[in-house]
Amino acid sequence: MASNYWDSTQAKHWTFTKPELTEIRRNLTASNPGLATKHPLPDPRHINIYLQTHLQKLARRLNLRQQSVATAQIYLKRFYLRIEIRKTNPYLIMATALYLACKMEESPQHIRLVLGEAARLWPELHANETGKIGECEFAMISTLQSRLIVHHPYRILTEFGGLFGLSSEEMVLAGSVVNDCFVTDLPLLYPPHVMAIAAIFLAVVLRPAGQPAGLQAHSSSGPSSPAGVAALSAGAAQSAMAGIAGLKQAGPKLGKLVDWLAESRVEMESVVDAVQEFVSLYQCWEEYQERVVKEAVGRLTREGK
Amino acid sequence: MDKRHPNSFQQLEKLGEGTYATVFKGRNGQTGAFVALKEIHLDSEEGTPSTAIREISLMKELKHTNIVSLYDVIHTENKLMLVFEYMDKDLKKYMDSYQSPTNPSAPRGALDPDVIKSFMYQLLLGTAFCHENRVLHRDLKPQNLLTNTSGQLKLADFGLARAFGIPVNTFSNEVVTLWYRAPDVLLGSRTYNTSIDIWSAGCIMAEMYTGRPLFPGTTNEDQLLKIFRLMGTPSERSWPGITSFPEYKTTWPVYATQELRAILPQVDALGIQLLNSMLQVRPEMRCSAQQALAHPWFADVYPQARKGEALGGQGGGFKGM
Repeated sequence: MASNYWDSTQAKHWTFTKPELTEIRRNLTASNPGLATKHPLPDPRHINIYLQTHLQKLARRLNLRQQSVATAQIYLKRFYLRIEIRKTNPYLIMATALYLACKMEESPQHIRLVLGEAARLWPELHANETGKIGECEFAMISTLQSRLIVHHPYRILTEFGGLFGLSSEEMVLAGSVVNDCFVTDLPLLYPPHVMAIAAIFLAVVLRPAGQPAGLQAHSSSGPSSPAGVAALSAGAAQSAMAGIAGLKQAGPKLGKLVDWLAESRVEMESVVDAVQEFVSLYQCWEEYQERVVKEAVGRLTREGK
Repeated sequence: MDKRHPNSFQQLEKLGEGTYATVFKGRNGQTGAFVALKEIHLDSEEGTPSTAIREISLMKELKHTNIVSLYDVIHTENKLMLVFEYMDKDLKKYMDSYQSPTNPSAPRGALDPDVIKSFMYQLLLGTAFCHENRVLHRDLKPQNLLTNTSGQLKLADFGLARAFGIPVNTFSNEVVTLWYRAPDVLLGSRTYNTSIDIWSAGCIMAEMYTGRPLFPGTTNEDQLLKIFRLMGTPSERSWPGITSFPEYKTTWPVYATQELRAILPQVDALGIQLLNSMLQVRPEMRCSAQQALAHPWFADVYPQARKGEALGGQGGGFKGM
């Protein structure tokens, strides 16, 4: 992991405990009385799945790297901890987050191009001048208190993948699991290496080489084929989690991972929690209906905003 | 939104104008302390300038004695104001106005060896901290090094800096002012690393001794040739892979390697040794900031500089400011 993660603004200002997150969100709802009842929204994870899917669509049109999409998703998560989502047009916030993320990741895109593609993709954007994104970007930088450098699990995943001798197939799967962490609260709770380890764990444990996939991460399957996704069964994950020590018999890769975890100072509890978050996310994903979220989000963009 | 108003700072004289910002001296209305106010021009077409975003976000991460502090960022209706720690002058202005009191025959702009050592140590401390934090400055030059009357030196202007924690190898190659630009960047490398800042530090060290830039090139090509004239023209034998750089030319005149000692007779033997390890044409041969700091040349650096504390005061620890 980066030597400096522990001193970073991400560690110091953008990492919370679960009770803290609950508190922040409760206060956000409380400070906007009536809004939550006026605009009921589906499961937050379903909203996140929707936002992720649509950000990826825009990113594909703009030919962006995953790194920029990931950074944009972090900005969205942080932004919506400070601003009630019901007070915003999520499409404008998404376009802006992606525009800002591209600047931060040194692959800047022209504002006109971002606006044009976003407007084509989302009629609900209701923005036809670049000034709107510029203004929103300014507000976003301010809301995020200019703390914009994001540490992602990808680099650590690559390092660990080499360390534990993951096959390229397992690396792809672990990468997709990491992509899915942005749908959860995990990036607001744990340092990046926890997500990387959890992803490796899921990739190796639940998909032993030569056997059919027990798990398929959602990000890799694309938004158009949710039905074709063979989601991980909760039972498989539970049994895997139950016997972490017994897992050493499961193969050399896992043995090495377990030994390494035992010796490292990585908090096992965090890793276990992260694995469980992923498992419950994939269950929750089964019930995801794009249409329902689209309508709910669409209602936010009307009302003369 | 931040409600603090920039008027809580009294704006004094203009200190400088950059490509994306104007810098004023300011005074904190409450404490009376001086600050530097960097006013960002907002470009309506492309939103907040990338350079400003990069600088602000990096400064939020990098807290070190030898890096200028960002106290606050003030957002108003249509302006972005960065409130920085106030420093007296940049190293360029400091050198331009310096005449050695101990050695009147020294050329104008040439600093005293003790001061050079202290400045170099602090420059390397700041640089090492950036590098440990996976940040490349990419634009080290005397104008971006700020000094104060306590003899402290701090890195500033992170507009071109980048975090290099991201596995990409398509860095923009349009960085670092020509004179301090490393040969690998001039050759068109897009996979450069921390070693580009070390090259710049070496150039700055030489300049502090002579008062003149070491390689004052006018174009990319001229800059390379000025380097080669001193360090020798590299070949596939001295630098395997050189011929595959985008800017490699078969038409370069073949210069022999000069002795730094002969060009910089005012530098002591250990100093020449350190300079030699920073000014390696091949990036992989250059020393790291940490290695440079451990060099015996710094054995007798002012203890305050070593700890990053303010110099001066008793014992005449710091002369000439």
